[in-house]
Amino acid sequence: MSKALKIKKGVDKGLNDLLEFLLKSKDIKGIFALKKMNENGAVSYSLMTSVDELKKATPLHPLMPVNAGKVLSIFSLKEATKEPVAAVLRPCELRAFIELVKRNQGSLDNLLLISLTCGGVYPLQSLADGNMKKHLPPYWESLKKAEINPDLRVTCQSCEHFIPYLADMTVATVGKKDLDKECTILLNTTKGEDYAKDAPGNIGSEEMETAETEKLKKRREEQNKKIVEDFEKEGLGFKALVKTFSACLACHGCSYACPICYCTLCDFDSKTLEYSPQSFVSELEQKGGLKIPPGNIFFHLGRMSHMAVSCVNCGMCSDVCPVNIPVATVFSRVSLSLQDEFNYLPGKDVEESVPYGVYKEEEFVEIGEQ
Amino acid sequence: MKGKALSAKEGINKAIIDFLKKSLEKKCFDALLIPAKVPETESYAWLLLQDESLLELANPLPPVMTVQGGKALSTVTKHGEMHQSVAAVMRPCEVRAAVELFKLKQNNLENITLISIDCPGTMPLSDYTDNPEKMTKAFENAFDKWGEGDNLRPICQICHKFSLTSLFPPSPQESPSDQNEKDFSASDLHIGLLGGNKEKIFLMPCSTRGTELLEKLELPPQDSLEKWESKVKEIIDKKIKKRNTFNKEWLTKIGGNEKFIAVFDECINCHNCMRVCPICYCQQCYFDSPALNLPPEAYLQRAEKRGALRFPLDTLLFHLGRMSHMVLSCVSCGACEDACPMSIPVAQIFSVIGDQTQKDFNYVPGRNRGEPLPLQVFREDEFSEVEIPSEGEETSTGEAEKNV
Repeated sequence: MSKALKIKKGVDKGLNDLLEFLLKSKDIKGIFALKKMNENGAVSYSLMTSVDELKKATPLHPLMPVNAGKVLSIFSLKEATKEPVAAVLRPCELRAFIELVKRNQGSLDNLLLISLTCGGVYPLQSLADGNMKKHLPPYWESLKKAEINPDLRVTCQSCEHFIPYLADMTVATVGKKDLDKECTILLNTTKGEDYAKDAPGNIGSEEMETAETEKLKKRREEQNKKIVEDFEKEGLGFKALVKTFSACLACHGCSYACPICYCTLCDFDSKTLEYSPQSFVSELEQKGGLKIPPGNIFFHLGRMSHMAVSCVNCGMCSDVCPVNIPVATVFSRVSLSLQDEFNYLPGKDVEESVPYGVYKEEEFVEIGEQ
Repeated sequence: MKGKALSAKEGINKAIIDFLKKSLEKKCFDALLIPAKVPETESYAWLLLQDESLLELANPLPPVMTVQGGKALSTVTKHGEMHQSVAAVMRPCEVRAAVELFKLKQNNLENITLISIDCPGTMPLSDYTDNPEKMTKAFENAFDKWGEGDNLRPICQICHKFSLTSLFPPSPQESPSDQNEKDFSASDLHIGLLGGNKEKIFLMPCSTRGTELLEKLELPPQDSLEKWESKVKEIIDKKIKKRNTFNKEWLTKIGGNEKFIAVFDECINCHNCMRVCPICYCQQCYFDSPALNLPPEAYLQRAEKRGALRFPLDTLLFHLGRMSHMVLSCVSCGACEDACPMSIPVAQIFSVIGDQTQKDFNYVPGRNRGEPLPLQVFREDEFSEVEIPSEGEETSTGEAEKNV
């Protein structure tokens, strides 16, 4: 059981009340959350410092225009903020931020982290196609019933980590049948409790994991199995890899949208991987034909080897791909099994080092050491 | 104008491929850069080939533009001259991009033969990936109606530069001598498809290199091109009219701060547009550089000025900055729009503004290899109408006063 703030309002309004309270009555100088951009359902992740602007906040809107972990990293990259700031972000966004903090790409100091039990988000394409508004009512209905909405991002449909790990406060949404009438915000840390003191509503108690969250977890596990099976039907191995990425334009949009790919200049965009005309000629003479630009698969495998251990399966990469390659499906399949090997869950614990950063004498002896 | 008519009774593609095959056999060039189908998939990609048997995969005019051809050529020749001679078969806007990249020193055309083809336009990439079969049919349809299909990239529907570069209005202020035309022509050889009723294609040499190519193949350019010319001119006129209406409509849609900002409301700052743009060649864009990183307090201060600050920052500044950097060389290929995950009409906006800006400089990007980039030339009397004399400057002539 953890303490919980209960506000007798719909979950959206209740959360906005809390955010307004934090900005008005506590020392919080700004709030990061999704903000409404237009009537089509477009949102942007914004830092709001005035109550007027905060009225446009729509923190639970099921879209992810940018992984918020990336935004918090931009914000706290140079140094930790001296002024306290609150951020509302989804569990995978929070996990991404933690992974970035581990890599010295941001700081947790003076941040109040508010997350939610997450029903997932729609592909960005839904907004581009003008379907976002239509999606909203069924979204909340399936959340109440702890069901998987079939129009969600593929990665969201199969995500088992929809309960946040390191949040100070957690908005309960999954399986909350009364979320139109009551907003329940769990206070997970002392910091969370302190900030909720004197907030509108009553303090009660609530379980983070309920029969309903368990139900969703089971459904997502099954969905994950199904996605993996479907994916494997297409075949595995090198041939399937080439086929899957055959339409890739080498735009590297996936790496740019990825919260974990934080390099200012990717190795694959650098001079290292530009070739001289002579090397094209000699390769051409050997092979008879070359795909231009070269190194397509190399890029994806290289990126994978760099970030898969920290991949949080947010799905941004698939959403930005101009040729609809299921990048996130491929990456999540690989990253989940890689993370299993290291018994590592990215973003669960900020104290736990990234596996590549630790040397263990006894690790992987079975694959090569005699 | 004269050219060489070749029979295309077995299909246009076959006629072009046969011609290229013969050129390879006769060692007119050692290798070929051409779009090709990726085996066992529906995707197309650029193929640099030497082995003639790979020509089976080639499709000189595929239904989609994957990587912009100008960019593909730059990948291969960015670091110097090819030691083999290569012919690159491209759409006209790709050749124009290659010419702009040549001026920007991002490729080396020393051993390259640029071959352009009359182009009816291309299908949007994501529509094609969603349904390759349907879009291939739609492309064939658009080919028959020459660019009249609503399924084409919007920017292709109003493209009047779909054929030989020297035909585009406006012509340069100083009309080039015949020799100049030959030395600086954008393509070396153009393949005309219009006016041939799908039974003929027309080869026309545009440079010394192109002339030599046809000589070597014993294909003397002595056939009349009248039918091709009149058809091309007819379509250019039609497209220009369409383009003018289109530009006017767009200007009312995006004129003024509020409207312009609203168009980019849904931008997620992924920079895909810049990454696929053939003209945006910078290895590291300023807008991705650490120059834009600020300490947290500075972000908070900026937010406090207006009550809120959108992250990632400066989305609009990115588009305006990119525009000011590349719009004079924008060839309106549409790659940016195809790559936008939010379906923002980037190409249409950039093209409207490109048209205006290029007109102000009487510059047509990619028209000619010899025409200098407008921002690289100093002309003393250019834009004198927007000059304001500095304070205390003699205004006795009355001229300057008028300018104010």
